[in-house]
Amino acid sequence: MEFAEESSPALAFEKDAFELTVEDVYDISYVIGRDLLKISSTGEEVSDLQFRIVRVLEMFEALVNKYNLSVEELKMERDNLKREVDRLVTERSSGPATQTAGPNQLLVDLTDPNRPRFTMQELKEVLQERNQLKAQLMVVQEELQLFKSGILPQAEPVMVDVDLDTPAATENSPPIVNDAKEERTTIGKLFSFRRK
Amino acid sequence: MAKKTYDLLFKLLLIGDSGVGKTCVLFRFSDDAFNTTFISTIGIDFKIKTVELQGKKIKLQIWDTAGQERFHTITTSYYRGAMGIMLVYDITNAKSFENISKWLRNIDEHANEDVERMLLGNKCDMEDKRVVQKTKGEQIAREHGIRFFETSAKANINIEKAFLTLAEDILRKTPVKEPNSENVDISSGGGVTGWKSKCCS
Repeated sequence: MEFAEESSPALAFEKDAFELTVEDVYDISYVIGRDLLKISSTGEEVSDLQFRIVRVLEMFEALVNKYNLSVEELKMERDNLKREVDRLVTERSSGPATQTAGPNQLLVDLTDPNRPRFTMQELKEVLQERNQLKAQLMVVQEELQLFKSGILPQAEPVMVDVDLDTPAATENSPPIVNDAKEERTTIGKLFSFRRK
Repeated sequence: MAKKTYDLLFKLLLIGDSGVGKTCVLFRFSDDAFNTTFISTIGIDFKIKTVELQGKKIKLQIWDTAGQERFHTITTSYYRGAMGIMLVYDITNAKSFENISKWLRNIDEHANEDVERMLLGNKCDMEDKRVVQKTKGEQIAREHGIRFFETSAKANINIEKAFLTLAEDILRKTPVKEPNSENVDISSGGGVTGWKSKCCS
């Protein structure tokens, strides 16, 4: 029993510094005080040291106390913020919350695939292009009708020739490139041979 | 460009509240058909119909606008090129009739001064749901010195008559001259290049 009683205050010395409580500080003080009493010498130096040790222990007590209070405050603050976040999240998911938007603002749900995404200017341009193409198509349809009915003579095939020329030219060019490539590689081989 | 198949090009514009039947009125005139499913017009669209008046082939390019306020900036930019504007309301919708003055103000602000205007009270086949009396439509049209018809795109009442009358009114104001391919401009989809009234060849 005596051993247990003696060992329990001493356990405070084993603890992590940031887990110390004020009670631990009292335990530490108790143990230090008891050990100091064991010193039989009663000189002035010893009593000065005793006072200083008591002073340091008082400071220690204040620091641990303050630290524990701060941790407690921060924990409370954290829990409050957590509750606030939870409240906002449930409010948001339970319906379209409009209270965070101003009188002339629109809240956009970024997960909505149908959310507004394009500007009025973009829409204007797309519509203009659509209507222009529509008008052009109508002109083409009209002309086609005229050609079909024989009102207009068949157009001279100049445009068609030009159109056909272009792909023919591009078809011819790859072999030329290949020839040049082959020539280069042959020369390259020769050069590398000579270098050796 | 190929030889023209028409003598004149008239640009018309349909305006009015959302859901009064502007697109249906136009669809009846251009395709002689009617669709009951309501699809809100996005911004601006157009259709073409060629008619013959006083021996002249007149191509009508009819711009159909979205009635919704959110398209306002897009639709008003098309007022300038219009030679005729049809303002449509719904005889079963009092609000659409009350908004006529708002639409007339839009015309004053954005359209040409000499634009030909016309008022249409649409859906006149729905007599049991009527909330705007015909006399009220006639009265407001008289006050503004514009023509008025009650129409029904669904029952095909007065649709062709309205368009032909508007085209006739524009034709009456059009200076008589030899048809010239230079004075007709169809490719302008943006409504920016208006109809050129001056002969330039």
